[in-house]
Amino acid sequence: MSSGHEPSTPGSHMFDYKHVGGRFLGLVALAIVSFAAVGFGAFTQTKQFAFSYLFAFTFFLTICMGGLFWTLVHHAVDAEWSVVVRRQMENIASLLVVMGVLFIPLVFVAPKLWYWMTKLPGQDLLLDEKWPYLTKEFFWIRAACYFLFFGIAAVWLRANSIHQDSSGAARYTLINRKITFASLPLFAVALTFSAIDWLMGLDYHWFSTMWGVYIFAGTALSSMCVLVLVVTALRNAGYLQNVVTLEHYHIMGKLMLAFTIFWAYIGFSQYMLIWYANIPEETTYYLRRNTETWQILSTALVVGHFFVPFLLLLFNFGKKSPAFLCGMAVWILAMHLLDIYVVVLPALHKAGVVVSWLDIACLAAIGCTLAAVFLKRLGDAPLWPLRDPRLQKSIALKN
Amino acid sequence: MEAAGNTSAPVYGVAAEFQSARDLYHAAEKIRDAGFSKWDVFSPFPIHGMDEAMGLKRSILGKVVFFGGLTGFLTAVTLEFGTSSFLYPLIVAGKPTNLYTVPAFFPIMFELTILLSAFTAVFGMLIMNGLPRLNHELFNWDRFKKVTEDKFFVAIESTDPKFSPRSVKDFLESLGGTNITTIHGD
Repeated sequence: MSSGHEPSTPGSHMFDYKHVGGRFLGLVALAIVSFAAVGFGAFTQTKQFAFSYLFAFTFFLTICMGGLFWTLVHHAVDAEWSVVVRRQMENIASLLVVMGVLFIPLVFVAPKLWYWMTKLPGQDLLLDEKWPYLTKEFFWIRAACYFLFFGIAAVWLRANSIHQDSSGAARYTLINRKITFASLPLFAVALTFSAIDWLMGLDYHWFSTMWGVYIFAGTALSSMCVLVLVVTALRNAGYLQNVVTLEHYHIMGKLMLAFTIFWAYIGFSQYMLIWYANIPEETTYYLRRNTETWQILSTALVVGHFFVPFLLLLFNFGKKSPAFLCGMAVWILAMHLLDIYVVVLPALHKAGVVVSWLDIACLAAIGCTLAAVFLKRLGDAPLWPLRDPRLQKSIALKN
Repeated sequence: MEAAGNTSAPVYGVAAEFQSARDLYHAAEKIRDAGFSKWDVFSPFPIHGMDEAMGLKRSILGKVVFFGGLTGFLTAVTLEFGTSSFLYPLIVAGKPTNLYTVPAFFPIMFELTILLSAFTAVFGMLIMNGLPRLNHELFNWDRFKKVTEDKFFVAIESTDPKFSPRSVKDFLESLGGTNITTIHGD
């Protein structure tokens, strides 16, 4: 173990900010500049801002929720392999607290996004039928509950894990397992209903019973990709060298393949049921996304989000190569970005794709903020659970 | 050397008993390095890394399964497009009989691919292992019954080009094997 190392030399368990240096300030500056630009856009093109911000927000929210998901899975199934990468999952999950703060701008533009808020009772039978679920009061209470749960679960699990680094007590593992069992159903509910409230709610006439699990598929996949990128970046900086081995990469590669297939399976199931039944109130969603220029993006998703990564990850050769897996991770993240884009923006640009500078500004603003907070989290705690009871077995992993 | 089975029947091989998975593992490594090809180890439970210790190559079953799956996929494609698009075009719910009908056909393509892959995997595995079979020469040896309990065994078969009862016995003894026995057929 690394206890013999000086805490700040590469290969030690504490992250040293000298690897980041001035780039940290650059990130913060970029975040501030982007937010200023976004703020300007919010006043000049409020509607475009609302949708662009929701798009960027959803993209990063799914990644952070995925971090929590993988932490929960680790504790629930008592996993051995993921001990060495668990701290990074916890770091990603802990960003959910920031996501809660970043949700606030959406409060001010809510009626522009979720236009059912502008309707009065008696105006639309379909909306009245959805009372009291689609009422403003219940909507905001739900949103608060989601973030309350996400925040508490992510912070609590991470805090216990860090306590264990100093005390080495096995009871933290047991406490975290109990927290996990309480959190798993709540996580499923929070993810499903936040997806329904914020994304399906863009068109309250439309509904799909597979919506939650569709968003979940992208969630688990994208955050596994981010995990691969984070772990590889740390290894390239000299950390985790003797902790995370190619065997761990093999497992992460297998999970990327599994969730690529799962995403396609869920996406296709949702599409086929709606396409086959051909009921007007259900087809509106796909009708818009499969016509005009949106058609190109939807087709690109089928090829790029499924066939390309499926065929490349299927074979054994790439899963043990960090460089190859990082390439795949970047590709899949780009596809996930496209996926969320095709979910959110057609609700605004009904006639076809219109890329706005606000899309990119919002991505930069939220992305840079999260990256800066992530770097802070990275340095706050050891890079892997130093005294987890199963650490040695996890390091010695063999597929 | 002790013998099991009908001593006038042909020799199946020479077998030895080991007391632990660790002993068996190291014995397997040495037998592999000695260059034997027709031999096997037996244990009450799977031992991690034993395939490497025995020098087993990757099974070709995976490649066979690919062709099983491909057969299933092509069967589905032929039956679906052949019957519903070419021989007797079915127009249901206003959906055309061209390539855009493919979503309706996907589930069957998927299921048949999986079905034939699974069949190929299971039956291919049975055939490659020579299963099912009614009996095995090793069952003539009483001690071998402990293999489902707490003992570990190695058997080097007489069909191995390097086999001779005396030298194999000495070799197994040098590896720490006990109760070395010549196994005959029925």
